[in-house]
Amino acid sequence: MLQCDFIFRLKGILEFACQLDNPNGVQSQSTISKSFQDLRSKVTSKNIVFTVCNSPVLIWPNTGFQSSVESLTEASACGDILQWIESDDGGSKKSSKKKDKKKSGPTVVNMKLLFEVTEPAGNTAPSLIRVSTQQHCVKMPLPLDCALSVTTDERLETVCTGLVEALNKQLADMEEVVLQYRKGSSFLVPQPFHFQLPEPAGLITVVYPAGVPDSQLQAVREDLHRKFELPCDRPYLRRANAFHFPDAAYKDGYLRNPHIHLNPPNIEDAKLYLVQGVYSYHHYMQDHVDDNGWGCAYRSLQTICSWFQQQGYVETAVPTHTQIQQALVDVGDKEPRFVGSRQWIGSIEVQAVLNQLLGVTSKIMFVSQGSELATKGRELANHFQTEGTPVMIGGGVLAHTILGVVWSENTGQIRFLILDPHYTGGEDLQTITDKGWCGWKGPEFWDQNAYYNLCLPQRPKTI
Amino acid sequence: MGRSYFVDEAVEEYLVGIQTAPGSCVTGLLAGQSSPQRDFVVLAVQTPHRESEGQPKASRGVSPLDDIDVEWVTEHAKQVSRMLPGGLSILGLFLVTPPELSKDAQNALKRLIFAMDKYITKGRLWELSEEDVTDQVTLHICSKTKKTVCKTFDVKDPKSSAKPADWKYQTGVSSSWPMLSCSVEVDVQIPMTGSSSDITDKCMKDGLRRWAKQIEAACCLINGRHALDDSELVSGQVKTSFCHSSVILILHLKLDERSSALVQLCSGSVKVRGVVHCRAYIHNNKPKARHAAQAIKRDIINTVCSRVEMFLEDLLINEGSHKGTVVHHVLRVLLEGIVHPKMKNLS
Repeated sequence: MLQCDFIFRLKGILEFACQLDNPNGVQSQSTISKSFQDLRSKVTSKNIVFTVCNSPVLIWPNTGFQSSVESLTEASACGDILQWIESDDGGSKKSSKKKDKKKSGPTVVNMKLLFEVTEPAGNTAPSLIRVSTQQHCVKMPLPLDCALSVTTDERLETVCTGLVEALNKQLADMEEVVLQYRKGSSFLVPQPFHFQLPEPAGLITVVYPAGVPDSQLQAVREDLHRKFELPCDRPYLRRANAFHFPDAAYKDGYLRNPHIHLNPPNIEDAKLYLVQGVYSYHHYMQDHVDDNGWGCAYRSLQTICSWFQQQGYVETAVPTHTQIQQALVDVGDKEPRFVGSRQWIGSIEVQAVLNQLLGVTSKIMFVSQGSELATKGRELANHFQTEGTPVMIGGGVLAHTILGVVWSENTGQIRFLILDPHYTGGEDLQTITDKGWCGWKGPEFWDQNAYYNLCLPQRPKTI
Repeated sequence: MGRSYFVDEAVEEYLVGIQTAPGSCVTGLLAGQSSPQRDFVVLAVQTPHRESEGQPKASRGVSPLDDIDVEWVTEHAKQVSRMLPGGLSILGLFLVTPPELSKDAQNALKRLIFAMDKYITKGRLWELSEEDVTDQVTLHICSKTKKTVCKTFDVKDPKSSAKPADWKYQTGVSSSWPMLSCSVEVDVQIPMTGSSSDITDKCMKDGLRRWAKQIEAACCLINGRHALDDSELVSGQVKTSFCHSSVILILHLKLDERSSALVQLCSGSVKVRGVVHCRAYIHNNKPKARHAAQAIKRDIINTVCSRVEMFLEDLLINEGSHKGTVVHHVLRVLLEGIVHPKMKNLS
């Protein structure tokens, strides 16, 4: 994970504008480049101002560092800025985050890019220039978004200089993308995405053209995987893999990775094997669907689908109960009247739907009685190490999701990290962790006499 | 419950000194600044005599009141309001009549005040806020007795009737007004989606309005402090004859975050570029920082707006001589100042 204490994130929208006499002519490229050059001059000019959101702090980074607050100088440590930021009024969500001291990641300092108009470079009297030739007028918002990871003692001036450099580089990247994907007078907006890569690369930013799906950007990703020496069999740079800033809420309202708020059990000589990446917690009663008593396997399947979506393997949304049922009809596994029913499904159906809707294959593990699950430590440990996907387990009359194990190779002791889809309440992290709806369970959790099927989804080998 | 007008004694001197031909009327403007509680009048200026071309107009109506050239009065008001520095605006009109016309004076004043407000505010690029005072004052002066009758009309309500108001002369109304100044770089690019004058007018108006909204929304620092709230304007110095505050204006680069480019086939474009120097004055009675910020911002917008209007009037006159080329206009002609000598206190 990140070693740094802060992420300074600077956002702002600059307007790209140019007039093209002939969009298909040779001149147009240099006209476009000239406009980008002007924008780069703008961000290196002394009129650029950074403001720190929710604070009175204003910084002029290109005038030998001037700030609107006397005590913040170029020598100030960047952490000093925190005392000026007014924290948002805590709703219950925020306060529960603050109580959670275990997982305090880096603090995000949000800044905005502004432009001063009262220190003009020249003194020319106003004039009006009118051009009366037919032209294509192009206007496009450039959504600049730069992020810098730093430690708390880094000087504020260094941070600001770094951000100005990042702005410049991003404009250059945007120019490249705009020119590459332009067709005549049709322009695509260049959009920046941040990715947290394994060290030493760290937090990087890639500019992708809006509207071009990930599937058409394969070659771009291959180049980047080579450049950053990333494995070639799993996605790191799809849009869905974009870094989620710690202070940003998820707009869909589902909880992400509730398990990270739990302490793993302390078993002597045992190792921890966990799901990799991000999933959403799907459970009974969500989305205005009353599936209490029959939908548990559907919800576990939704959790798994959410994992594949958020790791960038698929762009399709998490399927509804109806879509899941329809998929089973489509593959011939169920009769048409299955759709709209409240019939249960099991691991085999989960495997079939993952294949049909997501193109994902899964391995099935069969256990003839619940007591045997305690002996499956090695298989589960291997699964979480290599695939790292959530596991759906069905048996007895219940379905659950296994998110990890703590397992000792020597003593065979095992604990299971369970995400329970039978929860009917709201997205309250405190309740979910306190009451064990996401929690560590021992082997006695399983019905010792029932047989179980586990569906272990496999990662497709793709970037 | 009516408004209170605090009037500089220099204005009293001016009004008393107005000469009228027997039986005739004189109109003029009153200028100053309104604040929610009270209004300050610092300038009065008579409508100049209009040089008539050709035959002098025969008297149309029954009385000299009907002969008042409304068009000329409003045009004069517009020219003067363009020249006033920020913070100052036309607050109303005065009308000097002989005693026999006094009873009809109110109707004449009402007609004039509504016509004037309509003409001056046409093409204004900023919207009035809730706090802005929309009353205009009418002052009737009897040429024989020098008695004054002061009333106000709410010019936003065409049906409003005259309300009584206080007209108080005082010394020093126009002294020690804090002044804010700044130089603003303007760089506006406006595409013309058509070449008919209706379309170009609309494009210009939309383009300038967009820019004006950015200025209105801009973060304003006065003497290094954010001018956001109701705190008093801090000059940082003991009051001298006038204190000078520096203004920094910082634009939020807030555009619609569209994820698509806008490409239009245009018949041309207009660029307005250069540096405008702006000033605004704020009254000396516990002014608030955010009103000062508003005054300077409005001055910036008004200055650019009237320059552009003048450029476009100029273009219209010279139309036809520059087709298909880049035409570069610089404002060469400055209007003659119609400024009361006492205004020099403020400049």
